Amino acid sequence: VDDILTSLGTLLASTIRNATPLIFAALGGMFSERSGVVNIGLEGLMLISAFAGVVGAFISGSALVGLGFGLAAGLIFALIHALMCITFEADQIISGTAINLLALGGTGFLMVLIFGSGGTSPRVSGFKEVAIPLLSDIPLIGPALFNQSLLVYLMYALIPITWFVVFRTPFGLRLRATGEVPEAVDTAGVSVARIRYYGVALSGLLAALGGVYLSMGILSAFTENMTVGRGFIALAALIFGRWNPIGAAGAALLFGFGLAVSFQVPQEAVPIEFIQMFPYVLTIVALAGFGGRAIAPAAIGRPYRKE
Amino acid sequence: LGNAAGALVFPLVAILISFAIGAVIMLATGNNPIEAYGALLRGAFGSPLAVGRTLLNATPLIFTGLAVAVAFRAGLFNIGGEGQFFIGAITAAVAGVYLGSLGVFGMVLALAACVVTGFLWGAIPGFLKAYFGAHEVITTIMLNFVAIYLATYLALNPFRSEGLVPGTEAIDLTARIPFLGLGLGRANYGFVFGLVAALLVYLFLWRTKRGFEIRAVGLSPGAASYAGMRIGVNTVLALAIGGSLAALGGGEEVLGVYGKMSIPFVQYVGFNGIGVALLGRNHPAGVVLGALLFGGLAAGAQEMQFATDVPLQLATVIGAIILLLVTATKLVELIVGKRARALASGTHLEKGLGQ
Repeated sequence: VDDILTSLGTLLASTIRNATPLIFAALGGMFSERSGVVNIGLEGLMLISAFAGVVGAFISGSALVGLGFGLAAGLIFALIHALMCITFEADQIISGTAINLLALGGTGFLMVLIFGSGGTSPRVSGFKEVAIPLLSDIPLIGPALFNQSLLVYLMYALIPITWFVVFRTPFGLRLRATGEVPEAVDTAGVSVARIRYYGVALSGLLAALGGVYLSMGILSAFTENMTVGRGFIALAALIFGRWNPIGAAGAALLFGFGLAVSFQVPQEAVPIEFIQMFPYVLTIVALAGFGGRAIAPAAIGRPYRKE
Repeated sequence: LGNAAGALVFPLVAILISFAIGAVIMLATGNNPIEAYGALLRGAFGSPLAVGRTLLNATPLIFTGLAVAVAFRAGLFNIGGEGQFFIGAITAAVAGVYLGSLGVFGMVLALAACVVTGFLWGAIPGFLKAYFGAHEVITTIMLNFVAIYLATYLALNPFRSEGLVPGTEAIDLTARIPFLGLGLGRANYGFVFGLVAALLVYLFLWRTKRGFEIRAVGLSPGAASYAGMRIGVNTVLALAIGGSLAALGGGEEVLGVYGKMSIPFVQYVGFNGIGVALLGRNHPAGVVLGALLFGGLAAGAQEMQFATDVPLQLATVIGAIILLLVTATKLVELIVGKRARALASGTHLEKGLGQ
């Protein structure tokens, strides 16, 4: 029985660790998409931030400075996406794809410039686990949920905060209205472009938290293309969770569980590739409308032009 | 601005600004842009061998670019080229091993198999769009990963070779796509196949009734439907044909370049096909030119890294910036004035993602 409890605890802890970057990025994607700007660049935003975080920590020796670098990189790349989509009226899907390729090529380029070669960066100081007194003593869930890095606790807090911001504040109302009926927001004298810039910028900061957690919370180094599709799984979680913070976090937890399982199940039992496919298949099923159709904000993907 | 010249404005603005940004990056990292771009040009077109490298790199991009262009003409965004490319690669790798003893005939059959599997795979998002209303952008993105993991599973499990390199078995040399020769190094007839595919796509879209329907549905679904055309059928067909084309790209890489599918396999050919198509304004001739530009960038990057201190990844960065800028209507408006919007027709789908 002890053995089963131990491995359950390990699985639960691994689920949280795998779900954390997905939840950050999915919450970020929600701000962007709720404002009407598709963000398929989440993958690239995470990747560039994961890299910048490691560079910051490498230069300064401090994980917090690394976090600052990561947030700045995520914000800058998100603002490029915003500039293209909102100001220059470029196609949002194309801009997002370009952001992904830019992050991939850019991190590869900078790896060679800064660390002398591609592959994996030197190890840097990351975010270590901090056990919360009392809570971490709860059997089974204590060590899994409450002996994690500070970024994980930030993630716990951000789920309800995001929900509150989106559904209970004037900003949240404007954000949602901008994604559904931008004309009405414009008529009410609020700048559609400004709200969308805020939405996309927030997506950059949140995706950056996910990226930094990947490179400095789980590992303590950057590896080329280390996101390996996590940004797209986050996008899947966002859609599967119906663009709702609680739903998206729930879906991300489910997908994180899938990832955690895939690292532990022997290949003979279930091939790892089929577990890895799972989030994407589930999202397709949700989009096709089995079990209640996933419906996007109405104005998503279209630039807004004043008539 | 004439029509033909106008069509070039978006790609030219994107290319010029991207190369200018590339030059700034070179200067910032202590390199001479003229020297670096000179080396890049030499590595891409400076000798028959260099041209061969460019053709080799351009070949799969012609196919994945056409895959985007055909769907685009039907008013659809096919972001699934990456996955369709993997479906083609695993199909050709498996068929090539089993049909290898048939020589050239085996090669032709393996490519035909790619057309079939790519068609079926590409039809999935078309079907989901036409009959369930699932947006093709998201479903094709998600299907990319399903395809990559499926192909990876097949290459590493049922069809894994005995050898040390993870992947499928090597295909008989007689069943590979032959080299072009002419001193072009490893460039193979796949490039010619790509040109033929581009020509066929042109003839299909602009010279057949079905092609006309697909374009009509893309230009105005309402009018097409009123004229009795079936939107659903044309949607499925356009995405399925796109699937066949991208799969041929994967098949060409296996049968012409690597002789097998090793894991990890070539990545981002499908995603770069999006840039190729948009740069070529979703016209088959433009796609070929776009593929040559991206292929040349990739081919010349090695030489640039060798001759200067500029890491070859800069080529990827420049390609990404081109993609970033190639649909930027307002940016072009700043440069050529209000005419930009009228010129945007080859790069823009005037619709959102909401349903």
